[in-house]
Amino acid sequence: MVEAYFGLPEQVIFCKRCVISNQRPSSTVEFKHQANERKATIGFDEHGVCDACRYHDVKEEGINWAQREKALLELLDKHRRSDGGYDVIVPGSGGKDSAYASHVLKYKYGMNPLTVTWAPHKYTEIGWKNFENWIHVGGLDNILFTPNGRLHRYLTQQAFVNLLHPFQPFIVGQRIIGPLMAARFGVPLVMYGENQAEYGNKPDENYVPTMDRKFFSTGDAKDMVLGGKAVRDIVAEGKYSLNDFAPYIPPSAGYLEQRNVAVHYLGYYVKWDPQECYYYAVENTGFQANSERTEGTYSKYSSIDDRIDMFHYLTTFIKFGIGRATYDAAQEIRNGKITREEGVRLVHKYDQEFPSKYFREFLEYIDLTEEQFHATVDRFRSPHLWERQGDRWRLKHQIS
Amino acid sequence: MTAKIVVLDYGLGNVRSVGNALRLLGAAVDVSRDLATIDAADGLVIPGVGAFPQAMQNLSEAALIEPIRDYMRSGRPVLGICLGMQILFDRGTEFTSTDGLKLIPGVVDRIPIPAGEGRLPHIAWSAVKRPDSGRNVLLGNLAPEELRFYFVHSFAASTVPAQFVTGTATYLGRSIVAAVESGNVYGTQFHPEKSGPSGLKVLGNFISSCQRGEVHG
Amino acid sequence: MRIIARLDVKNDHVIKGIHLEGLRKVGSPNGLAKAYYDAGVDEIVFIDCVASLYDRHNLFEVIRNASREVFVPITIGGGLRCLSDIEQSLDSGADKVAINTAAVRDPSLITRVARRYGSQCVVASVQAKRSGTGWEAYVETGREKTGVMVLDWVRRLQELGAGELLLTSVDQEGTKNGFDIPLVKAVNEAVSIPVIVSGGYGQPRHLAELLRATEPSAVCFASVLHYRQAQVSDLRAAAAAAEDATVRG
Repeated sequence: MVEAYFGLPEQVIFCKRCVISNQRPSSTVEFKHQANERKATIGFDEHGVCDACRYHDVKEEGINWAQREKALLELLDKHRRSDGGYDVIVPGSGGKDSAYASHVLKYKYGMNPLTVTWAPHKYTEIGWKNFENWIHVGGLDNILFTPNGRLHRYLTQQAFVNLLHPFQPFIVGQRIIGPLMAARFGVPLVMYGENQAEYGNKPDENYVPTMDRKFFSTGDAKDMVLGGKAVRDIVAEGKYSLNDFAPYIPPSAGYLEQRNVAVHYLGYYVKWDPQECYYYAVENTGFQANSERTEGTYSKYSSIDDRIDMFHYLTTFIKFGIGRATYDAAQEIRNGKITREEGVRLVHKYDQEFPSKYFREFLEYIDLTEEQFHATVDRFRSPHLWERQGDRWRLKHQIS
Repeated sequence: MTAKIVVLDYGLGNVRSVGNALRLLGAAVDVSRDLATIDAADGLVIPGVGAFPQAMQNLSEAALIEPIRDYMRSGRPVLGICLGMQILFDRGTEFTSTDGLKLIPGVVDRIPIPAGEGRLPHIAWSAVKRPDSGRNVLLGNLAPEELRFYFVHSFAASTVPAQFVTGTATYLGRSIVAAVESGNVYGTQFHPEKSGPSGLKVLGNFISSCQRGEVHG
Repeated sequence: MRIIARLDVKNDHVIKGIHLEGLRKVGSPNGLAKAYYDAGVDEIVFIDCVASLYDRHNLFEVIRNASREVFVPITIGGGLRCLSDIEQSLDSGADKVAINTAAVRDPSLITRVARRYGSQCVVASVQAKRSGTGWEAYVETGREKTGVMVLDWVRRLQELGAGELLLTSVDQEGTKNGFDIPLVKAVNEAVSIPVIVSGGYGQPRHLAELLRATEPSAVCFASVLHYRQAQVSDLRAAAAAAEDATVRG
């Protein structure tokens, strides 16, 4: 019996309909994320079909979208303002999903959104261009929030080394910026795009239009764990004080309730199709796909604004055997854009591609040498997924 | 009575399209180089796309040159399309000077381009003019607005006696021989199987002449 | 100026992207081809837009069906890699073959096809994206850079024996915002073989603007046709008006 790290299922199986494997982790409550955590993973039913595919069936056949839209209109009617004040916070980056959500809320549903952006670590040229076009061509107000780079880099480095999850600090901040700004601006409604449950979190999370409170409450901020380290330990080291952690400290559930902040997913009310968001964004907010394919996948328009984004996917590939092509293909299979056979080919062609374009920059950003990088990465290769062959690592289970 | 048409298969030309068009128009079509099949046909179509010397070489190697001449002598209709028309003439000058089938007088050479002013191949839908009088089996019954066909070629026939020319087009200031008829031998520089409804009408006229069992001495 | 309908095909569907990205389904390949033929289009181009990505050929059946009911020139492209692919294409009923990725990987393919089947059946397909002051050629449906500049490449393609050029602007295609006029003008003036322009048409004035600068041999239309925003007759009228204006102007 081979050991499986992180409490992942020892046997690797692939969904019969899409290309995702049972190793895919569900979303974690990131500010509690410890290195020795057991991961909850995506569920598979007795036919070998994953939760995300099953949810997609429900999306196609089991949901009355007219009714959902009616519920959306009721919700929006309750909040809509015409006195010049903002009535909805839309967190996003100006990528295809938030471009669609924000634009449609403003121009179709007559709301007055304030878009709120949690800055990427390092903007790509195309990302910045699309961000600006979102505001200037799409016609939207925006607040760009950039956390203190020194701490952000430190946390990213720690997250990489301790958890092999460099994006952890980013996700923490991104998830709370919406409600945080909503509370600060006195805007009770926050509207995200898709619900991550679509991709394989617990399916019943899909049936609730709002984001789970568990992502918000925390007791003492010093008890938070960021980058695999308790905040109190980081503060004890002397370089940073608790004040520096402001962007990462979630507002308490009580605080949000007091201010009546409700966090919703537009994806609950509207049938979400990321590819259609691409078309919408091109036609309405000046969005442009990248001129070249993103390393590790075939896509040119998905998540292209952060130069270290591909390292998030590299680490999911190392830890779970699931690279970016797998994520992209799984979603497109479910939405009927490609067949499973095509998805498999794409995974074979691109999933294992090393992101070399911004590798140097990434190493500089997290202040590691190449040797340290590889040593860290190798520590997270679970024996149930990886084996050594000569001087190379081989993924034991490949989709077919 | 269904006309039996053979589309000559000698390795050059879009035989599938020609065959499909003729079938759509009601002919029974064989794509073949078999002598017995050719001999039993009411009409023979020689397609062709490519180079003049290659065409003659293919025909020679397949021992088809004499059979084509025999067929022509039998008086039954023969239609050459594009390169298939060009080889009906005396000679072609593409690459080297090559003898054609010599069924109609004329020489095939490169369309001369006025200095820096034009492109070859001539790839275009071009209007075709008919002579005011004279027999015109292929184009005679088309309305003026139907006289527009698809051309794709760099070489064209010249020095063809006027009595054989039944259609001309203009390209780069030069008059192009677009269609010829001489007894039972017909030719179109354009592709009737690629010229939409107009082209189908031309092919229909050819099929009719096969059905009529017209024989010209 | 020829009016050509361009159908990008994936499996059983015509799809339409923007910047060669996206797989939105817009119709049936044979259904749309027949409709455009009936409407009087001059030519049809079928591109298997994912052939190189998936290393396969799916269009031959579509072409066989098309050649039974569409009697205007048919061009096939997408993933054509070797002489036997070309032979199969022509046997299926295509008149011309469009080659992009394979020609970049092995330019001699253009020459070999031209020698065997004639230049007039070889359409060199180029996907151009703005880069600095010029344009760079892309392959694999606009997914991979080549490091080759378009103007050098098109001259070379003509030398190699291509009979026509199919020029797609990655920046403009699918946007309906007009053509990349500097690109078309530069390419049209760089070669003396016919140039077919693809990518960007949205309204009649785009054709007028294009023809003021340069006159290509043909223009491909996709978005406006597939989304039913224009009929073939509208495009013909727009082209005629643009040509008149150029002559008079």
